[in-house]
Amino acid sequence: MTGLHWPSIRGRARADAGPLLLVALVVAVVAVLVGATPPMLRSTSDEATRDAVRRAADDAAVRVEAEWPDDYGPTGGRLRAPRLADDVAGLSSLAANDLDPALRSALRPPVATVSSISMAVTDGSVQRRLQLEYLRTESGGPEVTWIAGRAPGPSTRDQFAEIPLNGAPWPMQIGLSEADAAVLGARPGDRIPVQDDRRNPYNVRVSGIFRPVDPADPAWRLAPWLLRPAANRDGLGSTRFGGLLSDESLPDARLAFRSDQLRRSVRFDADPDRLTWESAQALASAVATLKGLSAVSAERDTSLKWATQLDSVLRDLRSQIATASAQATVLLLTVLVGALLVVSLTADLLTRRRARSLTTARERGASLPAIATELTIESVAVAVPAAALGLALAAALAGSASVTWVLPFLLLTAAAGPAFGTLAAARATRDKRSPANRSARRWASRTTLLRRVAVDVAVVALAVGALVALRQRGIGSTDEGDVGLPAAAPTLGALAAALLLMRLLPRGTGGALRLALRSRRPMVLFAAARAAATASRLLPALTVTAAIALASFAVTLHATTDRGLSDGAWQAVGADARLTVGSEAAGSTVAIAGQVAAARGVSAVVTARVVESERFIADQTSIAARLVVVDTAAFRRLLAATPLPGLPDPAGLAATNDGTVPALVRTSDGSLRPGTQFRLPLRTNSAIPMAAIGAAPAVGNGDDVIVVDVATARAAGLESAPNTVWATGPGAAEAIRATGADGRLTTRAGVLEERRTAPLTAGLVRLQLIAAGALLALGLLGFALAAAASAPERWETLARLRTLGLRPRDAHRVAAGELLPVAVVAVVCGPLLGALLARLTVEPLALRVLTGQVAVPVTVVPWWTAELVTLVAFTAVLSAVVATESSVRRKRRLGDVLRVSS
Amino acid sequence: MTGALLTVRGVNRTFGSGAGAVHALRDVSFDVEPGTMVALVGRSGSGKTTLLNVIGGLDRPDAGSVVVDGLEVTGLDEDGLSQLRRDRVSYVFQTFGLIPVLSAAENVGVPLRLARSEPAGRERRVNLLLDLVGLADHAQQRPGELSGGQQQRVAIARALAASPRLLIADEPTGQLDAETGLAVMGLLRGVVESEGVTAVVATHDPVMMALADRVIQISDGRVPAC
Repeated sequence: MTGLHWPSIRGRARADAGPLLLVALVVAVVAVLVGATPPMLRSTSDEATRDAVRRAADDAAVRVEAEWPDDYGPTGGRLRAPRLADDVAGLSSLAANDLDPALRSALRPPVATVSSISMAVTDGSVQRRLQLEYLRTESGGPEVTWIAGRAPGPSTRDQFAEIPLNGAPWPMQIGLSEADAAVLGARPGDRIPVQDDRRNPYNVRVSGIFRPVDPADPAWRLAPWLLRPAANRDGLGSTRFGGLLSDESLPDARLAFRSDQLRRSVRFDADPDRLTWESAQALASAVATLKGLSAVSAERDTSLKWATQLDSVLRDLRSQIATASAQATVLLLTVLVGALLVVSLTADLLTRRRARSLTTARERGASLPAIATELTIESVAVAVPAAALGLALAAALAGSASVTWVLPFLLLTAAAGPAFGTLAAARATRDKRSPANRSARRWASRTTLLRRVAVDVAVVALAVGALVALRQRGIGSTDEGDVGLPAAAPTLGALAAALLLMRLLPRGTGGALRLALRSRRPMVLFAAARAAATASRLLPALTVTAAIALASFAVTLHATTDRGLSDGAWQAVGADARLTVGSEAAGSTVAIAGQVAAARGVSAVVTARVVESERFIADQTSIAARLVVVDTAAFRRLLAATPLPGLPDPAGLAATNDGTVPALVRTSDGSLRPGTQFRLPLRTNSAIPMAAIGAAPAVGNGDDVIVVDVATARAAGLESAPNTVWATGPGAAEAIRATGADGRLTTRAGVLEERRTAPLTAGLVRLQLIAAGALLALGLLGFALAAAASAPERWETLARLRTLGLRPRDAHRVAAGELLPVAVVAVVCGPLLGALLARLTVEPLALRVLTGQVAVPVTVVPWWTAELVTLVAFTAVLSAVVATESSVRRKRRLGDVLRVSS
Repeated sequence: MTGALLTVRGVNRTFGSGAGAVHALRDVSFDVEPGTMVALVGRSGSGKTTLLNVIGGLDRPDAGSVVVDGLEVTGLDEDGLSQLRRDRVSYVFQTFGLIPVLSAAENVGVPLRLARSEPAGRERRVNLLLDLVGLADHAQQRPGELSGGQQQRVAIARALAASPRLLIADEPTGQLDAETGLAVMGLLRGVVESEGVTAVVATHDPVMMALADRVIQISDGRVPAC
């Protein structure tokens, strides 16, 4: 019999339909997971790109400004330019033409704006300010309907009038919205008395009242006060109104203001809906090029000055996506290896069930290639349709399916059964006799031991190498998908540690057996004897322990991410709520803080002056850091009411005799350390000497912070008017909101929610949970398979013990006791290993990129969850296995044991 | 039947039903006197093992009764049968059935542990039995370190450990070479005499038949009237 024997193939498949279906199920589920994850990651990256650009809003907009050209006339006065509106429109076209086509396609149509300074309305009533605006979209809009009066027209019939430089205020006409006009009580023809901060008057007359054709036109968002009064925009309680300039009145506005009082710009809003991750990458380089050109042309006054944070937004996003991809790869590898181990265990079970038939086939002349081919046909017939089904489901779920991971998994799965079976057949008929003399036997035994040790050392060395590579190189900085060996570090670490544990297991069960021999309880002895007999089987215990360790690793990553998000939100806000007011409102900050402090549900409030990117000099090196000028004693009390790190004793921050300002410092590159002397340059060409006396807490995003006490700063002549209010307590956000202050309110809850729902973070957290669940299921499945593989021997032993008088219920206990060691090792060591792996890899896995933390997230091991879930799950499976086996045993006559040939 | 250690009366055992039913035992009846060694002889499939199973309570007959040492076996529940096997009936298997990770002495002590014997008494009994079967020097060796014949001797010692009244052996020399088989048979004969135990041994071996006090022929599930 050297050819294929189809009846044998069919017969084996029929007899072992259960295990084969199990393999198919595992392959299908894994194919769904690893087939769907890459396309889902791609779509999540696209979504994250859109989300990041949407959230960045103003930062993602591309703005271009250009100085006005000189408008001096032939007699030295200023010359009216009647076609100024066309020039502004031309600026839009010019800017659009400068854009890279890829970038242009990702941006919305430009809106050109001309904005005046904000002027005080001097009608003696409440504080009101007027700002004149000219808006122009590509279509000439936004369109308005004049419901009273007429559109602003020219102030002079002489279109090319030339006015003296220091003449009377040049008249200009504006339009008011219905709402603005109603509040101002202005009607067409009325003059609005306004003056700038230097009390220079301006001649502004209302020509008409308008109504927007489409109030939702995005162009209005650039100057919302044109449509309705904007309350407290400057934080001083004033109300801002907008005066609309027309094509005809714009030239007069140009003459009425100095060049530096009227700003022209073009804004291109990014269109998130047109962005994908791939297009965003091209965009980032286009934006960088654009900004580079802008810098080169900075000296030409009328040249285009580009400004945008889009490249920075995309750079941050790129880092996040690379990190998320790498972490997804890490998790997928854990599931793949867990599944491969379970498939191998199933192949081992199949081989044990078929041992006799395979031996018989060999004895009847079947060649090993023929047996291997038969088993391969069966294996392929099971695995390929299952993988195809899984991929189809993945495509249905994710829109497409990736075969990158599925193919190697499928190959290994299809090879496992034939490999185990062929090896068993070869061993069954191998003419290998034990050497006759003792030294030869010892030599053979030592050779086997050496081979085993070599394999163990290789696995451990690989795992250590991968962990070292991961810790040294990290994982988030590499390109997407190209994560190599470091990504396998947790998986290899779990395998190596589980392997070493399994090598110790026989010693453990041997020790337990020795103890049991001293026991007077026979069941303990029998269980220990059975456990010792099966402890040398490596694959079952390795599968179960490694799978549970990896499940614990995934669940620890999840808990760490969750805690990191919470900590990151605390750090980003600095309290439960933070109000950032503009420089114009600096004077009202203390009053606002007083109102907030008096509100219910507020436990601590502190005001501070926070200056972003302040320049410091240390050792001739310029350092940009966030400067926080705060009452350090109050700040310390506030931090004490939060989970944030506390502040050192503020006594050391008091002013020194030599005028040096003591400061707490924190820099990402360590350029400022306690003990460092540095200085803060002032505009007056002088500098304030400073000394770093301790470590500052992380305040807000970024890692470069310098904290000084407000009293010391004031004494040193440093600007200290507060512009930030921090408040803690459950009612902090509401209390700030209730003040009506128009600054930017940031709440911790809001930041946390925003970060938790960010597509990448939410997707990765989901994947962590899925991986943990899948690995737990694989571990339990492995345990059940291991029990099934040893069930025949267990039945035989228990049956023989029954013939010696063991009662049926005691047989259950012995069976449970035999299976207990693997379960105990998995329940006790699995979570420990997972926690250890997480502790070793949380930093290089760059979780902080997703949690938004400055520091490495604190590794959170959910001991209770991990241990309790594992314990309950294993107890349930153990009970089910023992009950099922008992039921099967009942169906089998005890007398059959007399016929069993060992 | 007064005085018989084992009484089998009208035992029937059928496997399956309908046309495919196999009548393994048909109205089997016989008695075995205490302290005798009975050889149960018959061709393969004649019902020897089924009969041994029924006698030892490993299987239940469809009809008939089995009385061992005055105890009606067929009326016992599972716990009762376990008690029977612990106290009165023991087995010697063709394949030895030793626990591989326990030494010879520990294997012999298993029935005594089940009977909750005192450790000191257990040790004495184990040593005695190992001495009886000629394996006192191999007490600490594991089954894998013993030859087939030695393993079967350990199995016989284990079977005798709890001082059973009835020893049931199913082809005890089936896996041994002729010389070793002969030694094991001799041992069985010896322990029957020295321990006063009654033995029912299923065998094909004519030597064993010669050593037995009585031979019961079984054919197609029937035992000729004795």
